[in-house]
Amino acid sequence: MIDTKRSPQSVRREIVGVPVAGGELALHLWRPRGEAKGAVFYFHGLQSHAGWLWEVGPQFADNDIAFFVLDRRGSGISQGERYDLPDVRTILDDYAAAVAQARRTVGDEVPLSLFGHCLGGSFMAALMHDESFTTRYDAAIFCSSWLGKLHATLDADQLTALAAERGTGLWDAGLRSEDFTHDPRHREFIDRDDLAVRELTRRSRATLLELERVYLNPTRQLPPVPAAFVSGLSDPIVDLDDARATFLRMVGPQAALLQFATDRHYLFYTGVRARLVDWATTFTLLSGLDRHA
Amino acid sequence: MDLSPAPRLPDLPEDPAGGPPAWQRHWHKRRSSFADECHQARAALLDDLKQPALAQQRVLADVIDMSAGSVHWRERGYDVVAGQPERFRSVLPIMRYDDFVPEIERETRTKGGILTCSPVLRWLKTSGTTGTPKRVPYTLHWLLTYRIPAMKAMWGTYLAHHPELLDHPYATLDTQTVREDVYDFVHGIQHQAISNRHPRINTLDWNPPWYESPWFGPDVPSTHEGRMYHRLRHLVGRRLHYISAINPSTLISLRDLIEQHGDRLVRELRAGTLDGHPFGEPDESAAAHLERVLATPDFSLTDLWPSLTLYTCWLSASAGLYAARLDAILPGVAKLPFMSCGTEGVTTIPVDDSLDSQPLAVGQAFFEFVPAEVPLGSLVEAGTPVETLLFDEIEAGREYHLIMTQGNGLYRLWTGDIYLVDRIVDGTPWIHFVHRDGVYHSFTGEKITETQVTDAIRAGLADSGLDLGLYLCGPRWADPSNDDLPGYVVVTEAPEPSPELDRTLSVAVDEALSGINIEYASKRTSGRLGAIEVVTVPHEAITGYVESRRHSGNTTQYKYTPFQQDIDFVDALAGVRGGNRQ
Repeated sequence: MIDTKRSPQSVRREIVGVPVAGGELALHLWRPRGEAKGAVFYFHGLQSHAGWLWEVGPQFADNDIAFFVLDRRGSGISQGERYDLPDVRTILDDYAAAVAQARRTVGDEVPLSLFGHCLGGSFMAALMHDESFTTRYDAAIFCSSWLGKLHATLDADQLTALAAERGTGLWDAGLRSEDFTHDPRHREFIDRDDLAVRELTRRSRATLLELERVYLNPTRQLPPVPAAFVSGLSDPIVDLDDARATFLRMVGPQAALLQFATDRHYLFYTGVRARLVDWATTFTLLSGLDRHA
Repeated sequence: MDLSPAPRLPDLPEDPAGGPPAWQRHWHKRRSSFADECHQARAALLDDLKQPALAQQRVLADVIDMSAGSVHWRERGYDVVAGQPERFRSVLPIMRYDDFVPEIERETRTKGGILTCSPVLRWLKTSGTTGTPKRVPYTLHWLLTYRIPAMKAMWGTYLAHHPELLDHPYATLDTQTVREDVYDFVHGIQHQAISNRHPRINTLDWNPPWYESPWFGPDVPSTHEGRMYHRLRHLVGRRLHYISAINPSTLISLRDLIEQHGDRLVRELRAGTLDGHPFGEPDESAAAHLERVLATPDFSLTDLWPSLTLYTCWLSASAGLYAARLDAILPGVAKLPFMSCGTEGVTTIPVDDSLDSQPLAVGQAFFEFVPAEVPLGSLVEAGTPVETLLFDEIEAGREYHLIMTQGNGLYRLWTGDIYLVDRIVDGTPWIHFVHRDGVYHSFTGEKITETQVTDAIRAGLADSGLDLGLYLCGPRWADPSNDDLPGYVVVTEAPEPSPELDRTLSVAVDEALSGINIEYASKRTSGRLGAIEVVTVPHEAITGYVESRRHSGNTTQYKYTPFQQDIDFVDALAGVRGGNRQ
């Protein structure tokens, strides 16, 4: 467990390559100076990337947690077509390769949590249900994730039309920094972030729909690991009631619901950041306890 | 983007019943551990100085450990030195700051991982050659392993010589560090001066006992004058022992601001106010004492604070030109030097009361040297490999270019600074900064250097029995409508300025510079260059001009630089003498 008496440590921040089909993606890692006692693999949302987590990563690492973030294909500093998602298989294979690399980095004995934020939660849920994903994880955290959003907000005809969409015209996600945070510094950062992705090709939305189907119509059972849905008290972007209901249906008796005192969407850019990181740290570490007889 | 809020009113001093205010409780709580940490850091430095080779090996190993896995090192193949540290100098090139800019741009997005495997916590702001402020990466590792230990080691020396600076909460006025709110960000991360240590990054960040003192915190005005006034309002009437500064001009400015705002200070001491707001009990005794001091012609800081025992600031190179003025305003007060450092890193740290020389800080960076006569700038520009010397290969009495590899990712950085080796002690060079490298200016191939001009002015003044004091020098371009020649103008302080003295000095300095620089002499005799012109002004005129250029945002780091890029100062200063420049 964490040594609560020690001084801040000189944590490391590294960017390593993940070999994937067609090239290499950037896997960002913040880790403690010594051996990691736990690990968190983070799935970023639509517009964000690992560069958004400069306050979060060092805190996890100082808590002795190795914190991994994959810049998804086409996001952050990773290669790949901007504004355009590849097919579902490629996305899931990319993530599976990155999570496997994270697991190899920390070793089998260290508890590993998956942490999906917003749209990242949808990628994560799909990966968890993908039969070719075999890396062991020990806990799952969905943060401000509207799981199954497209299915919840589109009628049958619209879903059919979207599934057939092959257009390359851009669709504006309509993301506004004021919905993410009240803090002027972080709002300025979001507004000026030239690596952010705020638009997607129309065919990419069909890919998102297909990802939802992977976990809404599951073909495998999830491992019995603790899972939590974390959010603010309200969220200007996510219908929390619907999101929680989907989460509970998906996870079942392993589920926990947790709320932090903010009304913004991006919890890491609000006053609850440090407490959320500390909570996720203990959630991760405790999942590694050996309670077997 | 400027996100500054509306100005704040000063808070009333906290004074809960039954105890001292919170800032004093912090002072007392922190005093002992601060002294211990400074003592330990100084002891570690002294150990390094006795085993400099070991210290340099340790630093190089640490640099390689922190950077071998970085994106930049892997892309360039520099990570090969991880297993072969002896190849460090042959594999990595000598760099200038501008050479790092593309990697720094990438690092602003990732906040680490590009140049080193340490999180970038801040970008340090310092002036660049093109007018665009530099962004020096301030990483967690650099903070913890190098920058804070350097500060503590220096304060360890100060405490070893003057323990009274921790006698009580009002004993020290520290102007070398400020705490200012920051409103300038680079992709979400603060961009601020190294001297601004606010907010604290973690519990190991800089935290002297006076960190919470009301004249030290972010609630004091950010302007130089406003901040100084608050410092004075808190400390006049107290038993002040020590004033810490980086630049000597800050100490002189402090004295001048006492004179300038003296009447207001007296009123506020008497009324118990600060900036017109209730502040504390009226202090009639302090007000009356200040009144007497203000009535004293040419009063000194020791008149105001007879308890003063120490001041510290830069004392060598151009800062040394302030010596006479400092002696006048701080008579009989002991002095110790500030470390030789820049935003880019620490070079020397004082370990004793030597004023002119300090040991190379062998535990702070991996240092390399090149003899000063080698045209390093043009070789680096051309990408020509340059042989460098290590700390144990340089000789006393010689001048060298300094190249340093810091733990923040700026490897083999050509600093542009020239250092003179004074002596070697236990294998460690003791050095001092001499001047910036390179040609100060050249109208027509004369390529004069700062050192040449300084030596010529010193020689010219000596002919008239005058000592070198503060001066400014700038290039005067020819007026095409006037058929005149380009040349240099020097304004210097003198006891009795006059047109006659100007003429005498102009001839003497011109002759001296001709003797020092044969190209200058050649251009002069061939009618391509006008004679250098010397203009004398009264004492303190240049100090006043320099202070007038200090403004919010550069208050702590602003420094006097004799060599200017234009001659705007000439008209401003000639007016001091009544506009009778001839």
